[in-house]
Amino acid sequence: MASAYVHVPFCAQKCSYCAFFSEPSSGETINRYVTALIREFELLAADLKPQTIFFGGGTPSLLNLWQWEQILTAMDRLNLLGAAEWTVECNPATISLDKAKLLRSAGVSRLSMGVQSLNEALLERLGRVHTREMAFKSFDILRQAGFENLNLDLMFAIPGQTLEDWRETLGEAVAMGSEHLSSYEVIYEDDTPLFAQLKAGEADVNEDLACIMYEELVARATKAGFWQYEVANFAKRKLAGEVAKSTKLPDFACRHNVNYWRGGSFYGLGPSATSYVQGVRMKNWSNTQLYCEQLEGGKQAIESQEKLSPLARAGETAAFGLRMVAGWPFEEFRQVTGYDLHREWEKEIGELVRQGWGQVEPESFHLTRQGLRFADAAAEMFLR
Amino acid sequence: MDAAHIRNFSIIAHIDHGKTTLSDRLLHRTGTITTREMEDQLLDSMDLEKERGITIKAHPVTMRYKARNGESYELNLIDTPGHVDFSYEVSRSLSACEGALLIVDAAQGVEAQTVANMHLAMKQNLTIVPVINKIDLPHADVPQAKRQLEDILAIAGDLAILASAKEGIGIDEILEAIVERIPPPKPTGAPSLQALGFDSYFDTYKGVVTHVRVFNGELKPGMLVKLFHSGKNVEIKEVGSFNPKPYVREKLEVGETGYMTANIKSPQEVKMGDTITDARHPSPALAGFKEIHPMVFSGIYPINTADYEHLKANLAKLQLNDSAFVYQAETSVALGFGFRCGFLGLLHLEIVQERLRREYGMDIIATYPSVIYQITLTDGTVKPVDNPAYLPEPTYIGKIEEPVVKAFVICPNEYIGDMMALITEKRGTVDHTETLDSRRVMLTSLLPLNEILIDFHDRIKSITRGYGSMDYEYAGYRESDMVKLDMLVNSEAVDAFSCIVHRDKAEGRGRALAAKLKEVIPRQQYAVAIQAAIGGKVVARETVGALRKDVTAKCYGGDVTRKRKLLEKQKEGKKRMKSFGSVNIPQEAFIEVLKA
Ligand SMILES: Nc1nc2c(ncn2[C@@H]2O[C@H](COP(=O)(O)OP(=O)(O)OP(=O)(O)O)[C@@H](O)[C@H]2O)c(=O)[nH]1
Ligand code: SF4
Ligand SMILES: [Mg+2]
Repeated sequence: MASAYVHVPFCAQKCSYCAFFSEPSSGETINRYVTALIREFELLAADLKPQTIFFGGGTPSLLNLWQWEQILTAMDRLNLLGAAEWTVECNPATISLDKAKLLRSAGVSRLSMGVQSLNEALLERLGRVHTREMAFKSFDILRQAGFENLNLDLMFAIPGQTLEDWRETLGEAVAMGSEHLSSYEVIYEDDTPLFAQLKAGEADVNEDLACIMYEELVARATKAGFWQYEVANFAKRKLAGEVAKSTKLPDFACRHNVNYWRGGSFYGLGPSATSYVQGVRMKNWSNTQLYCEQLEGGKQAIESQEKLSPLARAGETAAFGLRMVAGWPFEEFRQVTGYDLHREWEKEIGELVRQGWGQVEPESFHLTRQGLRFADAAAEMFLR
Repeated sequence: MDAAHIRNFSIIAHIDHGKTTLSDRLLHRTGTITTREMEDQLLDSMDLEKERGITIKAHPVTMRYKARNGESYELNLIDTPGHVDFSYEVSRSLSACEGALLIVDAAQGVEAQTVANMHLAMKQNLTIVPVINKIDLPHADVPQAKRQLEDILAIAGDLAILASAKEGIGIDEILEAIVERIPPPKPTGAPSLQALGFDSYFDTYKGVVTHVRVFNGELKPGMLVKLFHSGKNVEIKEVGSFNPKPYVREKLEVGETGYMTANIKSPQEVKMGDTITDARHPSPALAGFKEIHPMVFSGIYPINTADYEHLKANLAKLQLNDSAFVYQAETSVALGFGFRCGFLGLLHLEIVQERLRREYGMDIIATYPSVIYQITLTDGTVKPVDNPAYLPEPTYIGKIEEPVVKAFVICPNEYIGDMMALITEKRGTVDHTETLDSRRVMLTSLLPLNEILIDFHDRIKSITRGYGSMDYEYAGYRESDMVKLDMLVNSEAVDAFSCIVHRDKAEGRGRALAAKLKEVIPRQQYAVAIQAAIGGKVVARETVGALRKDVTAKCYGGDVTRKRKLLEKQKEGKKRMKSFGSVNIPQEAFIEVLKA
């Protein structure tokens, strides 16, 4: 298995929009989690030869030095180091220089920082723990620790955010000079405080403004040297010029995520993490206590499994792959799914082309710039 | 009971003047119900009646009363509804009686249905016992109520019994007046049984239970009787009366009121107003009463198409107890398979819908109510149309006639101007104005039925601060410049939104509908043009701007299953949407618009 995702379910404080499985926690629970996670690594080690690793959350950077050392030592012992791409997510104000250096020296190659906004009022509205100053400062620390591949996460269409606010944040963010940029619209997830505000009329959705913000994002990012390779993802190239013709991916594209969109397999560790192994999707319990108990008993903490028919799986793979600017090379699709994209979805492809949303190339099918904005509608068409 | 000791009477009044409350009192005072059983508006037994505080169905009850003269009497009371939609219930109840208690609210005075119901009773030559009720109210004005009885109804004010159904005042006087003033039933002199079927309900075990009034002879289990209308002979299984629950009796004698069962499976077999007579020695039919025909029509569709059969079964069940309600299958491009239903009026329509929703747990959607138009085609044939979808192309239409009503509006003098303006707005004409007393007038006007369907009554109430009231009767058809208003979505007509309106009103209605549609149609990936059109001419338009994106949210490994499920749900949802010229309209949008 070439990809592993590790979920760290802890945060200093819950953000108002967040629907991820994460909770504020004390040292004891975290220690117990670290031990359980190492157990899970041990159970899966024989099967794992990760080329990409991604520690997400939650806030992985919340683990202290000692806890990280435990994990890293165990990974070393289990022969899990040496991934070509190893990302750890962090939040501003939770990463010290020592911690950053420790991660760097263990082989972490990429840090992704959840900045979300550089506007104090909006950070407040989102319930983020950090200030804009802390974002700049943490970024510097990461550079100081030697990271040469950094991602910033930004959100737009935040309730109360004006176009001017967004332009300012965007300008300041690209000026920081990260190699990668992920930026997406606020989603109102059920059961979040933000959703409740929306229901109560304290927040509202302005689709037109959100769209203008998205256009602004694409324009500013492109101007700053980013290359859009997925609906919400932008990355730089090492040298100016075209991206590699074979993959159409910029050098700093996140391989781990590309693997998801391309229907690749991966293991997920930690509470609530999902895996996709030999066509089966599995999900761990979204309950840290239960997760720990299971692993302490020597069992994996799997809550549910789902196996789709080959065609349904291929449909899903097609749907998600089309979120990428490069779309689907026919040959690669056949290798991954066993289906002929063009033949099986001839009607849908035809319709998308007619609408000006899709384009058929000799070797591949991809959505057009316009089509990418309706990637969900396109995805829906491919599901079987 | 010998006929001399029987009294049959209905309680009639304007809506809310206290008929049911007074009935409760009479039942209590005669010992028909005990104090323990006593509850407010006991006879309003349906949930809906209780909740809305109105009577929907007439309720017959038999009471025993020992009068001051020492004799025992059987009093048959029928509590009737006051709302104009159900005046049919009143007239058939009256046809089973010799007298009527006419209740007048001491604070409200004589109102429109007081006049109308009183006329119904007069037409049947019934003895009227006037009762001025609610004299306990602080703003009760008994002298004025008396004056109105004299001025408006030509009833001597002194004949009125002063009462408070709520406080139990005047109840004995009322009971005595019933015995003394209302004549006992007289046999018709025909050679055998003559009974009038004046109502019915359906019992799962007994079949159709017919409410009967025996006018001649007697009705006993085991008798073979003939139902005049169908010509069918049936054997009586059971007879009885209500107290107010049905109870079995040995027989119903001349002059008595009660029920009969005869293993009749379909209510259609016993027409209301039909005469029941001895099968072997038939007597002639009684006068009976005119059958009523629904005046208001609306399509009722299941929200979930799979519920069609279920809806059909439930409509049939409803009809068993509501003979004025009719339905037949129809289809709509927008809504699928459903039923065209006919009602007596808007309240009736509302009640049927609500009973379907609540008692039968159905999810339904109803189209905009319509009346029946008479279309004379250019070739001279006449075609009734109650559904805009069936209105022929204008070129084939010679003329369109619409139903009109004669409406009687009673209102305080100071609101005459506003009332006239309202009537004009509703395309009506005021034929004459009559001064009722020093403070009030009655406007008699001719109005198109389709104009008074929706909000006419509410408007009267709001213009007159609650002091105005209205009654109406059907007054035939008149030629009118009616047009079909179509709503087009990306150039395709959506049949569920079409309606027949007067040319002068079409544009306004088109504009309102277009604006509403704009609100409820979700943005799509392309712009959606909404147009209101008469014939080929567009009279109003709105545009729902195109969606500019549907995705800018992130999506990573952990989200795949969730996201796929979301998309699958959307895809399912779209399947359930109705698509018009590539525009998807969700079911909820239809509901929203049709509700508005
Ligand atoms: N104060 C007072 N209120 C009364 C009296 N009689 C009835 N009411 C009230 O008037 C309202 C209407 O009473 P109902 O008995 O339902 O009137 P109704 O004539 O049967 O009404 P419909 O069947 O809808 O036509 C109720 O709130 C009663 O409590 C009375 O004598 N005095
Ligand atoms: S930091 Fe991230 S995971 Fe934690 S609460 Fe905020 S959004 Fe959720
Ligand atoms: Mg009543």
